[in-house]
Amino acid sequence: MNQDEIRYNDDIVKKFVLVTLLWGAVAFLAGLLAALQLAYWPFNFNLEWLTFGRLRPLHTNAAIFAFAGNAIFAGIYHSTQRLTKARMFSDHLGKIHFWGWQLIIVSAAITLPLGYSQAKEYAELEWPIDIAIALVWVIFAVNFFGTLAKRREKHMYVAIWFYIATIVTVAVLHIVNSIEIPVSYFKSFPVYAGIQDALVQWWYGHNAVAFFLTTPFLGLMYYYLPKAVNRPIYSYRLSIIHFWALVFIYIWAGPHHLLYTSLPEWAQTLGMIFSLMLWAPSWGGMINGLLTLRGAWHLLRTDPIVKFFVAAITFYGMATFEGPLLSIKAVSSLGHYTDWIIGHVHGGALGWNGFLTFGMLYYLVPRLWNTKLYSIKLATWHFWAGLLGILLYYISMLASGITQGLMWKAIDPSGRLVYPDFMETVIRIVPLYWVRALGGLLFIAGFAIMLYNMYKTLQSAPEQKSESVFIPAAKFDKVDPGKGHRFLEGVPGIFTVLTVVAILVGSIIEIYPTLSIQKYIPVTSMTEPYTPLELAGRGIYVREGCYVCHSQQIRPLAEEVLRYGPPSKMEESMYDRPFQWGSKRTGPDLARVGKKYPDLWHLRHMVDPRSVTPKSIMPSYPWLMGKSTDFLSLRKELAVMKYLGVPYTEEQIANGDMMAEKEALIIAQALEKEGAPPGLERKEIIALIAYLQALGQKSKGENK
Amino acid sequence: MKEGLKYFTDTHFTLLGLLIFFIWFVLMCFWVYRLQSPQFHEQMSLLPLNDEGGRHE
Repeated sequence: MNQDEIRYNDDIVKKFVLVTLLWGAVAFLAGLLAALQLAYWPFNFNLEWLTFGRLRPLHTNAAIFAFAGNAIFAGIYHSTQRLTKARMFSDHLGKIHFWGWQLIIVSAAITLPLGYSQAKEYAELEWPIDIAIALVWVIFAVNFFGTLAKRREKHMYVAIWFYIATIVTVAVLHIVNSIEIPVSYFKSFPVYAGIQDALVQWWYGHNAVAFFLTTPFLGLMYYYLPKAVNRPIYSYRLSIIHFWALVFIYIWAGPHHLLYTSLPEWAQTLGMIFSLMLWAPSWGGMINGLLTLRGAWHLLRTDPIVKFFVAAITFYGMATFEGPLLSIKAVSSLGHYTDWIIGHVHGGALGWNGFLTFGMLYYLVPRLWNTKLYSIKLATWHFWAGLLGILLYYISMLASGITQGLMWKAIDPSGRLVYPDFMETVIRIVPLYWVRALGGLLFIAGFAIMLYNMYKTLQSAPEQKSESVFIPAAKFDKVDPGKGHRFLEGVPGIFTVLTVVAILVGSIIEIYPTLSIQKYIPVTSMTEPYTPLELAGRGIYVREGCYVCHSQQIRPLAEEVLRYGPPSKMEESMYDRPFQWGSKRTGPDLARVGKKYPDLWHLRHMVDPRSVTPKSIMPSYPWLMGKSTDFLSLRKELAVMKYLGVPYTEEQIANGDMMAEKEALIIAQALEKEGAPPGLERKEIIALIAYLQALGQKSKGENK
Repeated sequence: MKEGLKYFTDTHFTLLGLLIFFIWFVLMCFWVYRLQSPQFHEQMSLLPLNDEGGRHE
């Protein structure tokens, strides 16, 4: 029989495996520090680079793009070569991909703590890094599709379909959500504003979960689970339905992050319905995975890899049941903005992504380095420590979220809030923050055991040499192309096009109508743009990541109207770039905080929150009293805003800096009369106060 | 039209959309399970187990 000799490129796989371990440590430690800060705020050591608002984006980016991202690449490079029976298309492109991605991660690690952020969740990185991400992703895509082009196995296994969906959809999501106009080297404004920015952001945000944290990991599951248990996937036909249903439905689910906001009802309803429908294909995948173990369930007792995979798939099932549940408007009215969402996210991220990655690494490392795992016992200890950690995390956040949600909703028979002081709802859940931190610590302890196990395994590895694999020569012309889906699996080009069509349908239907929605806002309801000083203050709000703890979107719910005022309307944020509706209320909503407290209150609150709210868990921001506002850059910012449609006059643009300085002087002088230190007019605290006092004050007509 | 997009709440359209998708899903399941070759699917499902030059029978 004719045979072809192939040498797979496992050098690139090894590189991605090692950095997955490295960045995992960074991501998990950043997460632990963030958790500790919520339990006890001085854990930011009073450093501006470590405040929660700056640390949280560092943690999420490290967890998603550094840890999960590198794990995905390791698995895709390893499995794709073997499924296609071809070496990766280009070793050179592989190296550029690897080093390019690590450079992006390092850039994120430097820029995010420094406050260079677009303040859009999972898309915080500024425009130069966005461009780098696009370029590296294209290189990855070329390398991947090039490998498919030279494959020796005509039909593509299901894992490869999921990789295709991942690559094309992440490209679309990233490019569309990152359309922004630079103001300077590390600042930009998105072309979208207010409601459009919200919809595009959460179309991106939820599909980052879908196509970066779900589909590639499902692909990895479809390959590594059968390998681990030495059994084929339970139902190949189920995987066909699973794939197409998932890929088509997922893209519509984004608006479930915007329920009860000022997003139009039809978009909210679409998001809710499609999120509910998503339960079916998600559990189809879970069933397919779990039933693969039929006849091999005994491995669960003895093999830690199988333990990790089964637990991962179970957490996937839990998260994909809970997600649709939370997407029901009535449930969302309780859970949105609370820690329940955090629990949901981490059940998925730690349970599904984390455990699947650990299982894959335990499978890969001994094989890649041609040795045995140092200790099965240590891997088992890792599993149990990690599992206990996740359960503590999840249960504490579920309890915290429901507690806080119910406390916010509580109205007494006379129609008043039972807990009118927001702080009452914070104090009640702080003990649960300690439990969550303990859960995270256990998860990290398990990971530390893994690092030791991996180190000892690599220590025992023999000298590495690449080996050839001999496979039957490819004879495409003799392979029956088949009909229907069988035919489709043999034509990657057409398959990719159909996948792109599947994801574009929902994207266009949901996003396109909202792009022109501002034409329907009556002139009498339009909002006044921010003054130059308020815009400068908004930049500080964005830099400090205030949106991470404070929302700016009052829902049309009785308890919210009582607590915060009239529900937010879409016109109120029509010029907001980026939108700052927020998705979490560690602190209260700020949509109508303008003029609620005097300027001196804000000054004292920012410098030391505990001086006005004794049990506050908010960080202190004393540096705002010392850092100077960048007035000069306002001219450029106003010019870009005008270019994007905000009705600033030429006079405002030309004299923006002087107008801001004048406004700042008035505020500073008034503060000085009330006892504030003199000479604050050029300091950032004044700009931030101006912005905070403008919130909820810019609407014309009946919205005020 | 102006108010339509802002305040669209017509549940008939939503129900129609849901019905269309559900029927399509059922048809797709039917198509996959009735018309495809079981031997081909068995062969494809064994692909991960037949790499590295070895064969799984």
